[in-house]
Formats: sequence, structure tokens, C-alpha cells
Amino acid sequence: MQDLKHLIKFENLLDDAANDLVKEAQAEGQYAIGYTCYHMPEVLLNVDNCFSTRMRAPRTGSIDISTYYMSNYTCEFARALLERGIEGGYEYLDGVAGVDACSAMNRCYEHLEVLECNKKPHFFVTHTDVPYKVEDYNVDQVATQMRLRLLDVMHEKLGIDVSDEAIRKAVEEHNELCRVVTEIGNFRKLENPPITGYEFHVISLVSYCCPTAKILPLLKETLEEIKTRKPDPKPWFRARVAIVGSEVDDLDLTRLLEEAGAMVVADRYCYGSFPGREEIRLNDDEDIVKQIARHYMMTSECPRYMAEEKIKQRRDTADRLAKEYGADGIIFEQMKYCDFWAFERPLASHILTEEYGWPTLSIDRSYNVHNSGQLRTRFQAFVEALEIKRIRRNAQEQEVVG
Amino acid sequence: MKYIDPKNFRLKDHIDWKAQAENMKEIAGIVGELVKETDWKDVAAAAGKDAKGLKKRITHEVNLLKNMSPEEVKDLVLNGEKQLGKLYANGKMATVRREWRGIKDTGVDFYEWTRMWGMLLATFSKDLVPALMGATHYRWMISYFCCHSFMDKNTMGLRGRALKMHHELIYAIFRYVAENLVLLMKADEKVGNSTDLSKKIVLFDEMTMSQIMAGFPDLIGIPYQLMPVFLLSEIDQLACMPYIDAIESYGLPSDTCPVPSSECGAVVVDALPHMGACFISSSMPCDGSVMASSYTSRRFKDLPTYHLAFPVRYEDESIMDAAVKDIKGCIKFIEDNTGAKWNWDAYFAAMKRFNEETKYELQKWEINQTPYPQLIGPCYELFRKWNYEMDGGLDPRIISTFKKVDKLMLKAYENKDEAWRGKMKYRAIVWSIPAHYYANFSNWAANCWGVDILVEMESLNFTKPLETEDKEEALKDLSRLYERMVMRRHTNGGYDHVVTELWRQCEAWNVDFVLMYQHVSCKNMATVQGLFEDQARERGIKLLWCSHDLMDPRTVSRKDMRSEFNEFMRTVMKAEPVDPSLLDFEDDTTW
Repeated sequence: MQDLKHLIKFENLLDDAANDLVKEAQAEGQYAIGYTCYHMPEVLLNVDNCFSTRMRAPRTGSIDISTYYMSNYTCEFARALLERGIEGGYEYLDGVAGVDACSAMNRCYEHLEVLECNKKPHFFVTHTDVPYKVEDYNVDQVATQMRLRLLDVMHEKLGIDVSDEAIRKAVEEHNELCRVVTEIGNFRKLENPPITGYEFHVISLVSYCCPTAKILPLLKETLEEIKTRKPDPKPWFRARVAIVGSEVDDLDLTRLLEEAGAMVVADRYCYGSFPGREEIRLNDDEDIVKQIARHYMMTSECPRYMAEEKIKQRRDTADRLAKEYGADGIIFEQMKYCDFWAFERPLASHILTEEYGWPTLSIDRSYNVHNSGQLRTRFQAFVEALEIKRIRRNAQEQEVVG
Repeated sequence: MKYIDPKNFRLKDHIDWKAQAENMKEIAGIVGELVKETDWKDVAAAAGKDAKGLKKRITHEVNLLKNMSPEEVKDLVLNGEKQLGKLYANGKMATVRREWRGIKDTGVDFYEWTRMWGMLLATFSKDLVPALMGATHYRWMISYFCCHSFMDKNTMGLRGRALKMHHELIYAIFRYVAENLVLLMKADEKVGNSTDLSKKIVLFDEMTMSQIMAGFPDLIGIPYQLMPVFLLSEIDQLACMPYIDAIESYGLPSDTCPVPSSECGAVVVDALPHMGACFISSSMPCDGSVMASSYTSRRFKDLPTYHLAFPVRYEDESIMDAAVKDIKGCIKFIEDNTGAKWNWDAYFAAMKRFNEETKYELQKWEINQTPYPQLIGPCYELFRKWNYEMDGGLDPRIISTFKKVDKLMLKAYENKDEAWRGKMKYRAIVWSIPAHYYANFSNWAANCWGVDILVEMESLNFTKPLETEDKEEALKDLSRLYERMVMRRHTNGGYDHVVTELWRQCEAWNVDFVLMYQHVSCKNMATVQGLFEDQARERGIKLLWCSHDLMDPRTVSRKDMRSEFNEFMRTVMKAEPVDPSLLDFEDDTTW
């Protein structure tokens, strides 16, 4: 296939948290609010003169200093972010919108504050409480927290307009972005898709790491390009997989998978396309922040939600996506040292195999996989297993027809 | 009404004798195979070696006696032995003999030993058959046979009033355990199968506090995994390893905390009794605990489950409403599943008791902060945690325990007694996830190095008196209490609760150093280790980092833990051991 016009630009934008579009927006007087988790509604960070920027630590090398602070057996994502913060990688931020969802990430935010990793006078770090269930009172709880611990702080520190009108405007723009990214992602349902899993991962990530207003025109252009893009006559991949599990902002993981012959047709990470790019439907009757809180709580696939209905939702979502996107198998992954996914992965991957009937590969991985030989071997073996299953299935079908 | 209502022990069992016979047949088969596979020549050789060891030990002890001066002999007879390391023998599960504490204290100790046996026999006699059957179904039940060793090791080296106080405290805990074991086996489908009793039982996640059950005096709340997993591991550190192995074989990474891992492993190997009207799962205290409940609810699909999950940022009163609604939801869930009704009078009566118990607790802290600390050591720490979490004012008998201990403690303070007579040299505080019970550690530190562990992090919890009149305020206080449960009070809601809090406590307790337990699988505490180091250096506070992995001694053995402690005492404190026989000994397999 011919290369996408903006792919290299997008890749460059992902090479640094403070990318060109972020700098451009800040030069125009906008404020960058960093965040790391789906429990923090992205759309609320895009109100008025603010824009959200997903905190990443691309090209992470040594994380020795953060390991001194947080030990060597805690989440590598949290440590990589802290290391980047200590190195000065988040000095561009005007605030961090934190959630107290997992202890490692919460401590990462706290270290950014205690170690004074950002010297801007108005810089703030918020800590909002996140419930473990989705009852009505939990929705109220999140809405209250978002008002008091986020919107009020943004207003007080940065003078941001946090009125309902400003929030509605942010939701409209957010929904437009969601429609574009979802439409691009839907091409992966085709038998011979005009987009690769890697390209989609780049597009999805870039939509989180840049100011919406600046990235949206480029994404729209890319959508039009894909509509008329001609795929190679014979698909390049040997198997189609859905990938499910914890936070992944490392393009190398998708690259490694595709090098092993697997096309990632659906990605259900902590946040990205599922969840993350569903439109937010608002009504005029209920408090707007409450509606937004509910949307994020209902769509969240976080294993921290411990109630039975959410546990079932997570398994059903994996099954549904794999079916909708024509996957041959599911890869269940977790960030090494993440307690939530560590417990979720063995049980869920067992159930997906035994009860939902999916061939499942269960792995844990580093924040940055680089060029892991161990993972490459496991991916290759899984692809071969899926191929063998397909050959046997086809042979059986031919026997029946014969 | 007596606590626990005696009627509960008399409820009819529905034992499936055919299934029991099948089980016994299987066990007989296993025993037969063991007998067949055993190399009896080896057994005979080992017995011969033991006999030689015994002879050598007796000769050694006789020689020691012979070489003593008359004053030393007198001291031995009156005050007991001083070299406790010789009680341990390499590769043995029990100590070689009981400790000689001097005539009077050995008498006291023997009396308490007898009293404990009496209580255990009387309690199990309330329904002996299911309890005995349970021992053939669950291997963890066997570990409780060594509970006296647990008592002995936690009172090692104690004399006088300190010995009496520790016995009082541990007696109360053992009574609770014994009663709950009888109830568990009676109600378990596999064993007693008493459906009438099962309907009255509300199961709790083991780290969930029991105070909510004070409003349901006709029901029985049992921490589900406490007996088969948590307490078991404290009595026998090796007992949970099969659980951990099972869940790791299933796919759980080995970097997770062994507490929820063991709970999940117990589910996988079917070590949990099947019983109860409903189950209260909880998000407390940490990320690992949250996730373990999905394994339990999958195993027992017929057990209705409520997830009691309080806000993490517990000092933020704006989310109190959600906490109170969660409590109300839990109460309604229990009512719906048991048919019982919440009783405010019973709740307030129990909480008044709990408030009184908290006052006694504060008095202990006040005395331990003085130059003459009295009630310190593992039995006290265990009692404090048990009383705060599991008893919670529900059992009226516990007040008398508090009163007796308080009287002894005040008398001891008046006399300026030493908790470990003649051995107290340093004051220390324990921070982070403690390993006292697995390693008998604070007791060993006192006997070997003369270190007073004055208090530990997990004891310093919520001490505000709970509301006992206004119903809405009472629910708020109950939420505040739950939010500040053991561990959660420090590890949730911001680093200030655990890091800054330590510096405040160091000042209040006037310590020489901090025994900083480094639980190698606790990610929550691990994420602040650098801040501890930085801020301790700034304040000139000494930190003794001691690694451990709770109930998995394969990661860090007790001997390794003691080595770290010894190094610190020699190099940093420039100290000399009080009892050098305890510096280095083998107890990897000892209860």
C-alpha cells in the first residue's frame, strides 16, 4: 500500500510529549493539562482555553532515578513518567489532572509535586477520587469530584471558563474527533483493510497527544485518503488479532506483532479507540458534568471496577470486538507490575478461552517492549497456532462440502 | 444473651456420611501410599540421629549447669534461662523444649498453657464431629494443632506482669479463632452442612472490619479467608505456599502480594469452606485485595456478593455521601439476603463498648510513650489489630480482658517494670507492612538486641469515639472508621498519610530508629521508598530496612531478615547483643 500522507508527521508528533502542535497551541496562549488515565474525562480538559495531553514517555531508556524513588517492582509506566518528569520532560505542562485509581500512578503524580518537576507558578496537580462501582451515588461522587477538584482548580489557577456552554462546546469538538477516528478504525473490519493496525495505533495515539483543534483537520484529511486507498491484492498478514488489556502507548508493541504476521484489527487498551472514541450523548435535563461522568464510567473497561456487571462487561466487550472485527484470536496483555491487570489477566484469558471459545495468548510486557525477542517468539508461535487452526477448519469445511 | 449465642452451636448438622466415608477412604489410600513409599531405614536413621542430638543437648545443658556459680544457679532457678537460641534445633518444627522462666513464671506460663488447652477443648466440644471431619477435608485445619507453639514463641523471654498480660491477650484471640473454626466446619457444605447455621452467616473479605455486624446481633459475621489463609500463615508460615504455587501456576505473576495471591490460590485449590447467606467483598485495603474478590465470586457463584468500596481520598468530606450510601446499601443487602433487620440499639451498645476499648488502647499508647513502656510485643500488636478489625466491640467478654490487662499494666508502670526484664536498651517504631508474626520478629529483637518495638504503623488507626446517638452521624463515623482500617489508613489517600505521619510518630514515641519493613511485593509502600530515604536523611532519623515477603519465606527467609537486623545493630547502632545465642540459628521449618 502507498504510505499515508501524514504518517511520518504523526510519528514525529509521538516522539516527544511536548510535540510541535502542543508548542504551537501554547504559543497561542492555550494551557496544556496532562493526564494518564481513562478515569479522568479527557473532554473536561479541553474546555475553553485548555487542551488535554496524554502523558507518555516515548523513547524511555534508563529509569534509575525513578526506581530509587519507587523501587524496581512497581509499574514501569508510572516510573517512566516520573523519570521523564525528573528529566524536565513535563516542564511544558500547566497542570496535571490526576486520579487516585491505582497506587503507582497516584504516587507518580505526588512525586512530580514533591520533587518540584515543574516550576511554573500556576502549575497544579489535582487528585480526584475514583469509585470502584457504577451506582448512582458513585456517578454523583465523580461529578462532585470533577467540579471541586478539577474544574474549580482550572478556573482558579488558569482563569478557565468552566460554564456548561464551554463544556458543551468541548463535547461537540470531542464528538467530531471520535467520529473521525471511529470511521478510520472501522476500515479494519474489512477482509483486506486499507489501513494497518500500526497505522491506526499511530492515528489513535496522536488524537490523544495533540490539541484537538490542531489535529482534527489532519485526521479528517487522512480519513478521506483511506477511503480511496487501494490495499495490496493479497493481504500481508497471516492472522487477525484483537488485543485487550492495560495501557499501551508503545508503537513498538504493534510493530512487533505485525512483524510476526498479525494484523491488529481491534485494540481495547485502558483507553484509545475502545474505550475513548465513543461519542458523548448529552441531554438538556441533567447536570452536564454528571452526564459526562456517567459516560466515562459506563464505557470504562478498567479492572478496578470490581462489581460483577463490570467484570462481565469487560469479557463481553473483548468477545464482541473480536467478533465485530473478524479476529482469529485474542491477545490479553498487561503492563508488568500492574496489580489490577495482573489479577484480571489470568482469570479473564482463561474464561475467554474456555467459555467464549477464543484462542487466547496471555502476556505481560514492559512499558517499552523495544525489540523483545521473547515477545516476538510468543507472537510468532501464536500466529502459527491461529494459522494451523484456520487450515484445519478449512479442511473440515471442505470435507463436509465434499 | 451470651456471646456467641449457644443455640448456634446446637443447630442441627446434616452431615453426608456417605461423602465422609468416601473422603476417609481417599485419605486412607494416601496414608497407605505414604507408608508404602517411606524408606523406613531412613526413618530409623533419622530417629537415631535425633536421639544422639537429644543426648548431646542434655549433656551440654548439664555441663552448663555444672559450670555455673551458686549465684548463677539461683538466678536461673528464680528468673529463668537467658540463652534462648538453644531452644531451636535445625530442621525441627517445634522448639526442643519449653522455656524455663524461673519457678514463678514457669508456673504462670504452665497455668496459662493449661487454661488455653481447656478453652480449646471446651470450645471444640460444642460440636466436635464437624471440626474433626474438617481436619480431614482441609489441610489448613491441621496447622491449627500447632497454635500452642505460636503462643509460646510470641511470649518467649517474657516474665512477670508482661507474661500475664500477653497471655490474657492471646487467650482472647484464640477463643475467637476456636469458636469461628467450629462454626465454619459446622456450616460448611462439605462437612457439618448445617443449613440453619449457614443462613445466619455473613461472610466478609478478611480485611474488612466487622463493626457493621453489630447492627445484626442475630447474625454471625465471619472473615472468610482469615482462618484458612491469613491467620493460618501467622501460625505456620509454610502453610500458604501451596496456595501461592497454585495461583502462580494458573498464571498470576509472582510479583503480586502473597495475601491476595494466597486467597486466590485457596480458591483454586478449593480450600475455602462453602457456606453462608451472602458475602461482603471489599476494596480494602489495596489494589491487590480489590482484584482477589473476582476469584472468590467466580468460585462461589451461588453466594450473593456485595462490594463494599469506600472512597480512597478519605479526608475529602465532599465524598462522604457516597461512603454513607455504600454502607446503607450493604445493610440493605444483608437484610435482603438473611431476612434480619438492622438493630440500632444493638449497634450503639456495641459501639459504646468499642469506644471504651479505644480509651483503654490510648492509655497503652500513653504509657508506651514514656521511658517505661509496658505492653509491647507481638501479642499486643496482634490483639490490637484483631480488636480493631475483627472484634470491633461485638464481643462483650473482651472488655474484661481490657480491664485485667489495664490493671496489670498500671501496676507494672508504677513499679517501672521492664517488658523484657533486664533486656531493654533501644526504642524503635515499626513502619510499613509488618512481619512480626511470621518471623516472631519484635519478640526476637527484644530478646536478642534489647530493642523495644513500641508501636507499629498498623496499630495507629482511627481513635475518634464513634457516634452512638445520632443515626446519620453514626453512619458517617462508621464510614470514617472503615476508610481508616488497618493498612488503608496509611497507604490510601496520599503519601502524607504514610511518610509525613512517620516523622510525627517518631517524635511522639521518642525512638532511636525505625524498623522499616520492606515487604517486597507491596507496591503501595514501595512507591514511597525514595521519599522515606530522602526525608529520613534530612531529619537525621535512622531507618533499618528489613526485607520480607509475608507468608512466602522462600523469597526472604526469617534468617535473612535477622541478618539484616544484626548488620544494622552492629554497624549503625554499634550495639552488642543481649543474647548472642539468638544471633544466628535455623528456624526455616519451625512453627
